[in-house]
Amino acid sequence: MQRVLLHPLPVRIWHWINALGFLALIATGLQIRYVGLVHVFPFEAAVALHNALGFVVIANFFVWLLFYLFSDKNRAYHPELNPAKHFRESFRQIRYYGYGMFIGEPNPHQPTPYNKFNPLQSMTYQVVMFILFPLQIVTGVLLWDITRFSAAIEKLGGVRVVDTIHVVIFAAFVFYIIVHAYLGSLGHTPSAHYKAMVTGYEDVE
Amino acid sequence: MTAAKALVVVAAFMLSSLTPAAAAGPAVSEQDQACLACHAQQGFEKDLGKGRTLSLHIEGEDFARSVHGAIGCAGCHAEVNLAGHAEERKIPSLREYSLRAAQVCRGCHEEKYKLYEGSIHATLLRMGNQAAPVCTDCHAPHRVQPGSAPAAITGVPCKRCHEPIFNAYAASMHGKARAKHAAAPICADCHRAHEVAAATAGTVLKDACLGCHAQAVESHRAWLPNTGRHFDAVSCAACHAPAARRRVELRLHDVATGRRVGEQSGAAHFGERARAAADGGRLDADSLWTLLREFNQGGAEGKAALRGRVEAASGIEAHQLADRTQAIRDCASCHRDGAFEAVTVSVLGPDGRPVRFEVHKEVLNSATSVETMRAFYAIGATRVKLLDGLLALALLAGIAVPIGHQAMKWFVRRRLKRAQAGQVRAEAAERRDER
Repeated sequence: MQRVLLHPLPVRIWHWINALGFLALIATGLQIRYVGLVHVFPFEAAVALHNALGFVVIANFFVWLLFYLFSDKNRAYHPELNPAKHFRESFRQIRYYGYGMFIGEPNPHQPTPYNKFNPLQSMTYQVVMFILFPLQIVTGVLLWDITRFSAAIEKLGGVRVVDTIHVVIFAAFVFYIIVHAYLGSLGHTPSAHYKAMVTGYEDVE
Repeated sequence: MTAAKALVVVAAFMLSSLTPAAAAGPAVSEQDQACLACHAQQGFEKDLGKGRTLSLHIEGEDFARSVHGAIGCAGCHAEVNLAGHAEERKIPSLREYSLRAAQVCRGCHEEKYKLYEGSIHATLLRMGNQAAPVCTDCHAPHRVQPGSAPAAITGVPCKRCHEPIFNAYAASMHGKARAKHAAAPICADCHRAHEVAAATAGTVLKDACLGCHAQAVESHRAWLPNTGRHFDAVSCAACHAPAARRRVELRLHDVATGRRVGEQSGAAHFGERARAAADGGRLDADSLWTLLREFNQGGAEGKAALRGRVEAASGIEAHQLADRTQAIRDCASCHRDGAFEAVTVSVLGPDGRPVRFEVHKEVLNSATSVETMRAFYAIGATRVKLLDGLLALALLAGIAVPIGHQAMKWFVRRRLKRAQAGQVRAEAAERRDER
């Protein structure tokens, strides 16, 4: 085993602000949507907090974006353009999580600073960071001030279309956060990946 | 005029000249006094036949003090000739008399008359509504006071036709304030006097509220998120009449012009279709969706869409305005599930008033609402139930992944032990070989 710096400081800062922001946005989002059923915050406070957290997470998104725009480590987010290779490696990773890891097989993917994501992670993070997150930002900002952005909302098909997109992605993030946190416990020790996301260093074979 | 009648006129004139009214009213000309000689008599009336009568009684003092006192009787009744007019005047009905009188008013009050012509009252009149008011239904021409004079709450003519609404107003904070001082608003201050429009048309009422409560937008902005949107989509009374039931009215609008669609401007068959789709009951989500789709295919000039608005469920409730300290400020009142008592869809009828069709409340939460009421969304209250299901599914699937994964680990635990034992044996064999 050797210790490798997989997660530079800006990425770790971004990650944990993002994680806390997402959890708080989910909590306030549930309070806003289910006022009358959920009684944790007053509605007004939940809306104000949700809006404020939204802008924190948006600003934080640009920390991530600027870091990877100017870092050669952005290769981790490059898509695999060879579909056959992509599916072969993805299947191998699914087989590992679904069966291989239970019988002691080694993880087919060994992370390096320039290739730190396995094929499933890479694909998931591309969908999350390049599609879902930006869409959630745009729809969130539109819903934040629907009068100011009424023309854009109208072009997208109306406030209900915008809200539907926001809620569908909200559901996707609820699923993602749970699964993401669980998969984080599947390192060579249950806490290995969590510790790496704090210290930056991962133990690699 | 017979000699006997002429004698009565002269006697009455002499008698009236001795009354205090005549003595205290130098504004009444001699000519008018001649008229009042008969018309000041209590109970003076004309028989119109079929049991109908027209009161001809004029209070001399009131007339002298009225704005019309200066122009005298002949100012309006120029066609009346003192000699013989009692027999000559043919008045088919009270209504006919009022309609003729309105044309006389118009002679001097052309500007007001033009405003009246654009009103809901004039529209109803043109449509043949016999109850539609004309000038003399609201203004008593022989007692009319200057426009600047405040009307007493008890003397408001609107009450005659709109009594239940007037009573709600009288009991409201505006009505109570008006009873104490003249600066508080009365009917015409919000609805206007001559150009009165259908209450739910345009922004006249909101403008009237903001006309007096100029700070309202700023004071709401201090605590109400998306204030502009709330001001557009929620009537003032929806929150400021706390006892009112709230209704969502889905108004048909022309997408291109932003104007409400009326039965005379493209929606002639909307009512028929809505009634057919409702099938005697309320429109449900599917029938509303089908109705809109068919309507937009059926030759309407432009695409039409529904815009929702939260308002008090009736005109009476809209007038039950309370002191602002009692106004609804709890967002959950409108944003919780089931916040709205009723849902209607409306087009403007031929008289400018909305023609409403009842809609099932469940429409607000249906998946088709994304299309049918694309511009109306009250967070929480109108959330799509299908998306609630999706959220629950996402949560359950997220929880199922760790549980399922750990279950698989449990199922293959013996195999893992065997593999680990095999690995231990292999490593031991390797060490022996090395030795």
